[in-house]
Amino acid sequence: MSLGKILGKRALSILAAVGVCVLAQMVLTQSVDGFLLRLFFLGGLYVTLAVSLNLINGITGQFSIGHAGFYMVGAYAAGLSSNYFFPRQSLDMPAYLLVSVLIGSVAAAIAGLIVGLPSLRLKGDYLAVVTLGFGEIIRIITLNQEAWGGSYGYNLNHKHQSLALVFLLAIVCIAVCRNLLKSAHGLAFLAVREDEVAAQAMGINLTKTKVVAFVVGATFAGAAGALFAHDSGFINPDLFKMELSFLILTMVVLGGTGSITGSVLAAATLFLIPELLRIAKFEVSQGVLLGVLVAVGVMVYTIRLVERTFHGEKTQKSLLLLGAVVMPYVVMFGVGKLLETYTILGDKFYKANDLRWVILAIVLLVVMLIRPSGLFGHHEFSWDWLRSKMNRRAVEA
Amino acid sequence: MALLRMEDVTIKFGGLTAVNQVNFDIEKGDLFGLIGPNGAGKTTCFNMITGVYTPTSGKVIFEGNDISGTPPNKIAQVGICRTFQNIRLFGALSALENVMVGAYLRHQTSLFSGFMLSPRAIRETAELRKKSMELLSVVNLADEASSRSSDMSYGKQRRLEIARAMATDPKLILLDEPAAGMNPQEKDELRAVVHRIRDEFEKTVLLIEHDMKFVMNLCEKIVVLDHGEEIAAGGPDEIRSNPKVIEAYLGEPV
Ligand SMILES: Nc1ncnc2c1ncn2[C@@H]1O[C@H](COP(=O)(O)OP(=O)(O)O)[C@@H](O)[C@H]1O
Ligand SMILES: [Mg+2]
Repeated sequence: MSLGKILGKRALSILAAVGVCVLAQMVLTQSVDGFLLRLFFLGGLYVTLAVSLNLINGITGQFSIGHAGFYMVGAYAAGLSSNYFFPRQSLDMPAYLLVSVLIGSVAAAIAGLIVGLPSLRLKGDYLAVVTLGFGEIIRIITLNQEAWGGSYGYNLNHKHQSLALVFLLAIVCIAVCRNLLKSAHGLAFLAVREDEVAAQAMGINLTKTKVVAFVVGATFAGAAGALFAHDSGFINPDLFKMELSFLILTMVVLGGTGSITGSVLAAATLFLIPELLRIAKFEVSQGVLLGVLVAVGVMVYTIRLVERTFHGEKTQKSLLLLGAVVMPYVVMFGVGKLLETYTILGDKFYKANDLRWVILAIVLLVVMLIRPSGLFGHHEFSWDWLRSKMNRRAVEA
Repeated sequence: MALLRMEDVTIKFGGLTAVNQVNFDIEKGDLFGLIGPNGAGKTTCFNMITGVYTPTSGKVIFEGNDISGTPPNKIAQVGICRTFQNIRLFGALSALENVMVGAYLRHQTSLFSGFMLSPRAIRETAELRKKSMELLSVVNLADEASSRSSDMSYGKQRRLEIARAMATDPKLILLDEPAAGMNPQEKDELRAVVHRIRDEFEKTVLLIEHDMKFVMNLCEKIVVLDHGEEIAAGGPDEIRSNPKVIEAYLGEPV
């Protein structure tokens, strides 16, 4: 089947997706302020990043923790080429944006190929180290390139925040992964994740499968990078640190490795934590912080205790669980406040922004302890699933 | 011409000669048994046939071509598929999906059309599903189609592995201790399945089995390995009365 024919069959859904994205952009730019717009924009980017990493990590089982590297390759390739090919300021037509998205994704795809190839020989932790190293190498090379602005960063001639393109990219990325899982081809990727020896014995080409996963995943990250670069018109290597890779990885793991739905939801909520804390004004004392950390521990263990030992009535169990969540906080907050007054621990205060990683780590810890397979496990949202849930509820009622 | 010919096949792991100068021919339509005590080198033979290991010397010849050292996925392509002694299913996938992975080997559409979910890819997926369902009922697992394979019982997992290997449409199917861990009733069921695979689906079967009674009742030709050496070959009756075999099995009832 030729590309033309396939696109023909898909014309309606493609048109609808484009329509929705353009409409969303129109409505949003009319109705919300710049800060919120940026949150929507970043949300779209993170969804793309998480879903594309999920293809590599969750679906194909290749433990890659250097996704920010592909994102960065896309951003720099797009920025550099955009300035090179479109040196004039203030273009109205965002055609250049499409061109740089294309260039960004091709550059990232090549990077994906380069990183994907060693993955044939490496497994688990070893592969993780290689991918992590890749992300850092890319960053350090850029830091030392005068022509790319080095550590000062790189200014783009054009600045354009295209919400429509970001949404479209996220939709295409989700659709491509979902399509894969709906066709028998997706089984080859899942089989590689589950057992490489058996997969190969069933005739699956491990090389091809892994490299395709890396290349496709990197391509989407690169496209996201290109849009990101044009959003602020300025990029610098610090924007693509290891922490970013970890954040994306956290989204995938938290959502449930392999679940596209999980990646989308985790991405759309988790990216908000650092973004909102960046602007939040509150401060937390050492005492309260310590109290909250202890409360998290107590909460997790009480929840597990309740889950394991108590099989009573549903409402009763829910109440107990609620207590397990709320009580430790009330107590520990009180203790924390006391410690604040009687400054045994010193009177250091942390700004909200400094707590970004602490809070992210706590969220990850709690979810992993309570639901080790992530929020969605291997499951996907589907209308059938929803319908069966509703029916069951109706039957129970 | 033999379907599969082992020609002086030898493999050494460091100082250990796991398989030494093994020769046998499997003809098309054979129900062939490979037996011997634990550590005799049976699984290692499977690993050399399926490309997991390359023989140190000697050749594995399939349909007249030397296939020694060909990667496992190519081996599946040319028509040899196996099950594993230490069950290796795709745990998180359903029984049906496991079989579909096997059937996927004979797919026609491109990976690209999978990413695009082209109508042909959809149709093909439906066909693979149908074919896999049929194979599941051959091994009496139709009811378990949507069960997660890692949750299934041991005996069912073994049968599922057979269905998965069958799905690749092999000419030669290798079964590594398919009856291990099964109760007598399951073993009878399995024997019927293996017969059906050979008679109805016209596959050639090579099976490793530790349970002598099972092999004697099922296989028409048998090769016995001990410490990597081929100590006997022939029909069940010849093997049963062979003193070397009796000695190798340390007087176990044969
Ligand atoms: N990869 C390997 N490295 C070293 N020794 C091996 C390897 N694979 C098998 N062996 C050895 O080869 C011998 C035969 O093993 P195997 O073929 O598994 O026996 P079995 O007849 O019980 O299936 C054993 O002594 C085993 O330890
Ligand atoms: Mg063995």
